Amino acid sequence: MLEPAINTNDIAQLIEPGRIHRRVYTDPAIFDLEMERLFGRAWLFVGHESQIKKPGDFITTELGRYPVIMTRHDDGTLQVLINRCTHRGPKVVNEKCGHRKQLTCLYHGWTFDTAGKLLRVPVPEGCAPAFNTDKYNLAKVPRIGCYRGFVFASLAQAGLSFDEHIGAMKANIDDLVDRAPDGEIAFDAGMHRYLYRGNWKLQVENVLDSYHVPFSHASTVSRDGVQFARREGDEKGTKVVAEGGRTADEWKKRRSFTVGHGHGWTSNTALDEGKRASPAFNQYKAVLASKVGASRAQQILTPKLHNTLIYPNVSIMGLNIHVRIIKPLAVDLTEVNIYPVRLVGASDEMNFGNIRLLNVTHAAASFVQTDDLESFTRAQIGLQSDLNDWVDISRGLGAEETADGVSSEFATHEMVVRAQYAAWRDYMCAV
Amino acid sequence: MDTSTHIPSANFSRENFELFLIHEARLLDERRFREWMMLFTDDGTYWVPAVPNQESPFNQASLFYDDRQLMKTRVERLEHPLIHVQTPPSSTVHLVGSVSIESHDDAAGEVVVASSVIMADYRLDNQRVFAGRQTHRLRRVDDHWRIVQKRVDLANCQSAFEAIAVPI
Repeated sequence: MLEPAINTNDIAQLIEPGRIHRRVYTDPAIFDLEMERLFGRAWLFVGHESQIKKPGDFITTELGRYPVIMTRHDDGTLQVLINRCTHRGPKVVNEKCGHRKQLTCLYHGWTFDTAGKLLRVPVPEGCAPAFNTDKYNLAKVPRIGCYRGFVFASLAQAGLSFDEHIGAMKANIDDLVDRAPDGEIAFDAGMHRYLYRGNWKLQVENVLDSYHVPFSHASTVSRDGVQFARREGDEKGTKVVAEGGRTADEWKKRRSFTVGHGHGWTSNTALDEGKRASPAFNQYKAVLASKVGASRAQQILTPKLHNTLIYPNVSIMGLNIHVRIIKPLAVDLTEVNIYPVRLVGASDEMNFGNIRLLNVTHAAASFVQTDDLESFTRAQIGLQSDLNDWVDISRGLGAEETADGVSSEFATHEMVVRAQYAAWRDYMCAV
Repeated sequence: MDTSTHIPSANFSRENFELFLIHEARLLDERRFREWMMLFTDDGTYWVPAVPNQESPFNQASLFYDDRQLMKTRVERLEHPLIHVQTPPSSTVHLVGSVSIESHDDAAGEVVVASSVIMADYRLDNQRVFAGRQTHRLRRVDDHWRIVQKRVDLANCQSAFEAIAVPI
């Protein structure tokens, strides 16, 4: 369906207190504007430092529409470069990851070092008299911020500082990283990649949505309404469905939280930590306790977070641990990358426990994620019609409780979605 | 040779194993998932790696790595009336070919069979094709061949896939 052109000044009108206009999901002009004003400005996840340990190591990824290379340079510095030759434009590095001392463009052989400095131009006598190699270095992303190995970058020269953006979410990153006996995690266990024919925000909204679980994931619960075990050492999962198909009371108690900037998280109240036991888990718990002390280990292992969203597109799952990056490809096409997290200092058996369960929850062939992809795909189809222009996100509107900058509400309500669209509007309306 | 563990040479005919693989493929295409699962030994695994030449399912993400317990959860879900990603269900066709016997271990009563597989998966006006090399490690149990490990190395295993519901 052809959408009428949108006046960028009217963007704010697409977001109302308890509802949003369907065009935020369907209009290619809005998608283009998102690439410019949201993905072109926000702090975006690039990668993890464990992916580029040694000088010469690199990974490639995308920040919005920008192809980028993250490298470890000779001097140990971390670099995030725009992956576009400064001569005629080809993507310089094609592999997802690797190790290289110099980066040479395939087309005419222009060669850069791992900090982007132009080292060599073949047939240099052909260069114009005023040609200055210093002006042809690979562009660097304007701003980089790192926290406990997580590398973020902003494509904008100015704006919210990294600390302002990430500050309130550091505790959520700590919650994950502190689970490693050695206090660090590694992204070296491959990744899951999946794709769906829907807008990127459908997945972003979903990661903090506790309302959908008993219905979307009905096929993952047994007759007693309990989901399959998702963590090493658990005998079974969480009770989500009560008699008659109603949402279980325990599940309804879960809370969601926001701290501004679109960020948020959901709590984990329904897990019975006392019953978690297996040879791999018991040994892991003992190793963690030997490193940080028994009471701190107990504190670390007490489930607090189900899922965290660092707006716009990073989710950290605390239940069966992983980090998820949501990459918009087009208004109706989205790729998602999910990294299993290796807890450094934990045994191979414990890390395998996490990997094997992540395969069945979040792979393209998993039990859980596949039904979500079906929801996103069907939403994109349903939203094409202008019969009803509005998407309702009003559950719990006005019931938010706010203290010390943190707002909370029941996780089966939609406060966190409203917080995401408040941030979305802020990015999109800032000229 | 210890004849008590010796497998009669008749069981090593390539055709025998080709028929076995055809039977397995048909169970999947006819959505007889529980019977498919029963082809696996109690310690059996079904593995679809996520990168070419993946060395291990233990230290890296896989598209599928099901032991019998996870396989049972998968099959129960495939039989569940509220599996949305199969509403409506896929229609699949598996084609198995290029079957060869790679090795055999008489003492363990095991044989490794390599083949090629192509699966067409049609659902909601969209048809996808999966193609790969598969490796079956089979064990003789109570006079039947059963699967100790089925590994499928897809040509495009590194792709970003739309949802996959039916085992390949």
